[in-house]
Amino acid sequence: MTEAELRTSLLQNPAPGELEAGQRAWEVVRSVYAARERVPWIERHSRLVVLLAAAAALAVAAITPPGMAVVERVRESVAGRTPSGPALVRLPAPGRLLVVSGSGPWVVQQDGSKRLLGDYDDASWSPRGLFVVAAQDEHLVTVESQSGDVRWSLSRTEPIRDPRWSGGGLDTRIAYRTGSSLHVVAGDGSPDVVLAQDIAPLAPAWKGASHVLAYASHDGRVHVVDFDARSELWTTPRIARVRRLAFSPDGHLVVLTAREIRLYRAGRRILFEKVGRQHLLLDVAVAPGGGVVFADFDLKADATDLVRSSCSTSGACLLIPNTQLFRGAGRIGDLTVSPNGRWLLAGWPDADQFLFFRLPRVGKVVAVDDVRREFEPGASTPREFPRIAGWVEDATG
Amino acid sequence: MARAGRDERAWVRGAQAGSASDLEALFRQHWPRAYRAAYLVVHDGAAAEDIAQEAFLAAVRALDSFDRRRPFGPWLHRIVVNRAIDWVRARSLRREVGDDALADAPARSDPPPRRLSEGVTGALAELTPEHRAVIVLRYLLDYTPGEIAGMLELPRGTVNSRLRRGLDALQGQLAEEES
Repeated sequence: MTEAELRTSLLQNPAPGELEAGQRAWEVVRSVYAARERVPWIERHSRLVVLLAAAAALAVAAITPPGMAVVERVRESVAGRTPSGPALVRLPAPGRLLVVSGSGPWVVQQDGSKRLLGDYDDASWSPRGLFVVAAQDEHLVTVESQSGDVRWSLSRTEPIRDPRWSGGGLDTRIAYRTGSSLHVVAGDGSPDVVLAQDIAPLAPAWKGASHVLAYASHDGRVHVVDFDARSELWTTPRIARVRRLAFSPDGHLVVLTAREIRLYRAGRRILFEKVGRQHLLLDVAVAPGGGVVFADFDLKADATDLVRSSCSTSGACLLIPNTQLFRGAGRIGDLTVSPNGRWLLAGWPDADQFLFFRLPRVGKVVAVDDVRREFEPGASTPREFPRIAGWVEDATG
Repeated sequence: MARAGRDERAWVRGAQAGSASDLEALFRQHWPRAYRAAYLVVHDGAAAEDIAQEAFLAAVRALDSFDRRRPFGPWLHRIVVNRAIDWVRARSLRREVGDDALADAPARSDPPPRRLSEGVTGALAELTPEHRAVIVLRYLLDYTPGEIAGMLELPRGTVNSRLRRGLDALQGQLAEEES
């Protein structure tokens, strides 16, 4: 074969699946393009703006005493000081937050006003945020999110943990754990069935608006089951130290372990992130437009990096460079994406702050200070850092 | 060629301004070679689709900062080929360290290559990913050895020797198959 023949062969003959793959890929590319936010001129030319601003600041500093203060502030920000902010006066995006503190679960409206729902230990949103399911010792309670009024409750002989409400429609389900059993109850409180035994102490996860549920069993396998059909759809091999389960909007199962993030599509593992021995993955959230944001705790440095992996589809993107969004001392977790996908919220106990990051490009960080006291206002010494339990659209208006 | 360059710049400008049809024109123009290049390096349809798709998604994400004076193709091809090489290396590495999950997962049954010459595809598969990449960049995407050296961040001499060895090996494979 001559070079010319090789060239002709490669150029003229499509590869297997080329056309079909192109059609599928175009749909994905088109949807990401439609969802993108155009970057304003000032951001596109940020380098030039920064250079001009820096030059101006230096010029001012050189001739005036107040200018020295400007230079000092620039120096402080470059040195990586923690951002400081006011109290939680409003949420940066529409929707309502559910935050669980030592006092119980709080509903935070977009204008920053808050309501304590009661003395419950754990809670999560109903699909549209009209209700909250909460656990208090051996009792499971559903309450109206606006008023805190109890709708129904049930009791078990063992403490109830990790109640999670399935998404979408009127025919909803609630999954929860008691001991090593996984229960599922209808959204109106009946009937209640034991779906699995010997499960791991880990919150189950519902897949979108369906009644498909993922849970981890004690032997380290993750099971995906269709609750209505009572059938197991697929199971993973044993996975060590599973820490969190979640589904992405396009139905991929995200499994977070101590050092890996695994994505499964219909039982096939398609991607993982892996961190080094001295690291611990604290949390993961599915980012808008594909990919994930994860919290990577560096044990040696006692600091957490929030990292965005822009992968969206497969192991092929394993080596796409990740983007570091933020680094802070201690542990940062509870990663939660706003309902409109434009903000990421993280809890930072060491700084007693909530951090709101603008997505998809992190150019803006809004910090909220004094979070412990915010959610335990009467306590002389707040007990624990509040847990972010969800951010939903405001369907109550 | 100059006309194609003008079209491409116009499509990039249109896509930056929010025109989905211009983005589609850009996609249709570049998808076949991007996918084919990835396929010829990784020899896996699903992976090639992901690699080419991720390259286009990277383009969409970087659209606002893209310099319209630069040609789009080389920028895209550089991403595709480098990621394809990385993918093959990562897969080899995972096989070396063992991967129970991947082994247990049902393998995706890719259809056998029906259209691209089986002989050429099979012979390419026998080469290392680095050799495949330079062959693909030279004979499918039509870059000069100097341009390939820039894209893969290699000395030009290395590119030339990989091209020569790759071609020799390819011819050897094809001759063996014919005999």
